[in-house]
Amino acid sequence: MTALTPTVFIVDDYAPVRRSISRLLHAAGFAVAAFASADEFLAQFDPQIMGCLVLDVAMPALDGLELQHILAEAGSLLPIIFLTGTSDIPKSVQAMKHGASDFLTKPVNDEDLLAAVHAAIEKNRALRHEQAQLSEIQARLATLTPREREVLEYVVAGKLNKQIAGNLGTVEQTVKVHRAHVMEKMRVQSVAELVRLTQRCGINGR
Amino acid sequence: MSWITIVWSMNAAACLTLAAIYLLVWCKQRQDPAHLLFSVTAVAAAAIAAFELEMMHAETVGQYEALMRWIHVPVWVLVISFVSFVRLYLHAGRRWLAWSICGLRTLVLILNFVFTPNLNFRHITSLRHFSWGGGEIISVPVGVANPWGLLSSVSLLLLLIFFVDATITVWRRGDQRRALVVGGSMIFGAILAWHVPLVIWGIIDIPLFLCFAYSGIVAAMAYELSYDLLHAAQLSRRLQESEVDLRETQERMELAASAAKLGMWMWDIARNEIWLADKGRALFGFAPSEKLDLDRFRSAVHPEDRELVFQAVQNSLRTGAEYEAEYRVLLPDGQLRWIAGRGRVEFNSNGQPARMRGASVDITKRKQAEELAARQRNEMAHLSRVTMLGELSGSIAHELNLPLSAILCNAQAAQRILANGKVDHTELREILNEVISEDKRACEVIRRLRLWLKKGEVQQHSLRINNVVQDVLRLLRSDLIHQKVIVDCELARNLPGIIGDPVQLQQVLVNLVVNACDAITNRTIPERRLLIRTGIQNRNGSSAVTVSVTDRGGSIPEEKMEQIFEPFFTTKPKGMGLGLSVCRTIIAAHRGKLWATNNADCGATFHFSLPIAAPDKGAPIIDTNHLTNMQCCSHGAVRHRGGVAPNGVKAPRGSGYDVTKD
Repeated sequence: MTALTPTVFIVDDYAPVRRSISRLLHAAGFAVAAFASADEFLAQFDPQIMGCLVLDVAMPALDGLELQHILAEAGSLLPIIFLTGTSDIPKSVQAMKHGASDFLTKPVNDEDLLAAVHAAIEKNRALRHEQAQLSEIQARLATLTPREREVLEYVVAGKLNKQIAGNLGTVEQTVKVHRAHVMEKMRVQSVAELVRLTQRCGINGR
Repeated sequence: MSWITIVWSMNAAACLTLAAIYLLVWCKQRQDPAHLLFSVTAVAAAAIAAFELEMMHAETVGQYEALMRWIHVPVWVLVISFVSFVRLYLHAGRRWLAWSICGLRTLVLILNFVFTPNLNFRHITSLRHFSWGGGEIISVPVGVANPWGLLSSVSLLLLLIFFVDATITVWRRGDQRRALVVGGSMIFGAILAWHVPLVIWGIIDIPLFLCFAYSGIVAAMAYELSYDLLHAAQLSRRLQESEVDLRETQERMELAASAAKLGMWMWDIARNEIWLADKGRALFGFAPSEKLDLDRFRSAVHPEDRELVFQAVQNSLRTGAEYEAEYRVLLPDGQLRWIAGRGRVEFNSNGQPARMRGASVDITKRKQAEELAARQRNEMAHLSRVTMLGELSGSIAHELNLPLSAILCNAQAAQRILANGKVDHTELREILNEVISEDKRACEVIRRLRLWLKKGEVQQHSLRINNVVQDVLRLLRSDLIHQKVIVDCELARNLPGIIGDPVQLQQVLVNLVVNACDAITNRTIPERRLLIRTGIQNRNGSSAVTVSVTDRGGSIPEEKMEQIFEPFFTTKPKGMGLGLSVCRTIIAAHRGKLWATNNADCGATFHFSLPIAAPDKGAPIIDTNHLTNMQCCSHGAVRHRGGVAPNGVKAPRGSGYDVTKD
């Protein structure tokens, strides 16, 4: 199982349900890992692995909602599809509020489940892609010197070189050099492109 | 004729009258020799009076001598009679003394006829005539006393001693009245008799009046005997009265028996004959003249109850315990009648049962009322059960959803495997096996649900209480998980069976567990624990199986300990307050007890006890789930703390039931 192969994790305390869902997903071509409890799952949880989590709501000890909370705290990107035996509205609302990918009622139809799993994996893929891009931008930002970073912030705010020089108490020529370094380090051709990147990282101009 | 003649004659006449009366009494009542003895004594006393009177009137020495010789005969009779009377009637006096007196007196009588003129005188020289006490002229002998006459005096002395001794004995025995009257008069008479030797020895000069000394004794004896007669008359009157009472009691009994529709009966075991009063015959549908025995009785009893009745009879014959049975009788017109029979065995002197006596009563109406009450109780229980199921519907739906879910996913997985073309037979076999087992599980849930919803007769099964606990935990599994309640179980192993309705007992336990869950709903998660225990309790010689549900919630105020079992008492905002009251009626109908106690630290414990089933009767025990097969309900929510021996001692770890995961 590599980080690139999507894996469906199943956590359900009731063995026949756990086994049957595993079989179904396996037959549909997914890699499957099943666990009898939230604790068992957490014990070997690897945030690097791509996929989604099919989670039973009602379980002894740690239940589904508590596991969702723990994963969120840990910054996991794993989308969660909840399975419940009862249509418990308050619980489903709570789960969806906390970012559940889907909330299905048992007995679940295979198409519904597979659609939810596909969607969740897609979501995970997109999230991971986004995450990867962000990391890239962050990495580029990290190469800037503090002065270059200051210049960047003024540039994305639409300030002219003269204004920046005035604000920084330096000459326009120096600002030009910093600006060229920033464009190079951030691997962008235009200011518009730079603005798009920095906005994704939540950096706003001064 | 002077007063002397009159007095002596009257004395004799009185004695004769008494003799005649008591002779008559003796004739009517021959078994008592005392009356005959007295009669003889009185005749002898009369004879002495007659002799004395004649002696006083004797004209010649010869006449006097003859009379004096013959007077010894009645004196002998009298002395023997006195001694016999004391021995036979008073049961006193020393035997050797009695024999000595009788022997000596007989010797005196013989010697009296050997000597001439008699024992008292060697010879009488003359008669002295004089007037005494203002009466007529009387004769007194003058002569030489016979030294052998001393024998007579010795016998008199012995008689005195004998009387004194007997009187003391009677007195000490506590019969003071008799000692005073009979003993006193005898002693007095014996002292008075001492005038005879004094007259003979010429010391005093009076006529002989021995008859008075002795007739006093006779009078005392007559008084004593008449006292007995009076006493007997009193007894007979009382007997008559008590007979009247007895008859009245008997009549009252008959009246009461007839009013209570009691059929009195008696079974002569040796002859195998049953006597049954007419009322009783009507109860059983027997003809009034029909001859009854055990087989005839057996044929009247409803075939299903025969075993029960005859076991009760056998038990009674064997142990001597009271016979008690309630059974149905099949009347000739096809009607059924409920009879309650009670009776007692009477044993003969060899300790063998001789007969049984008792009564039977028609209890059809009571039974009908009981049946009605039972029906109402069951309807109530059913209503409460349906309500409870409504409350648990979510949990039950979940229980049903789980297997259905597994079945659906498995089936769809199989479809995909087949569609993929790469058919793995092992996997398909596994899938089908799981589909079957899960289907069975769903069926089991539905079966249990239907049992719960079913409104019907109360079932009387032999069952194991641990199975009831497990069934309840299965039913509540989802609810317990949902509420995050952990149930610890300490189920005693090898508990005896009980008789009861499995569904109703489950209902009681579900109620207790649900209540306990409600009690801890506000507690933190580690405190949301319940403990269910089963065990055995011995009290007053009878054993009962006990179940307790302990929570760690709030405690029950002491003043509400009983109130909580009353109908419509509730602390829950949505509760009807029927749960515990229904539980109590159910347990009471099982002849058990349901009660609550507060725990020492926190929370409360509800207990119920059920009498254990007699090992020799009842249906075979339903034991579908052995304790070791405790899988479905564990599921992490129910933990078995290991088996506990019935006496409550925990078994060593590992010997019980571990938490099993499925």
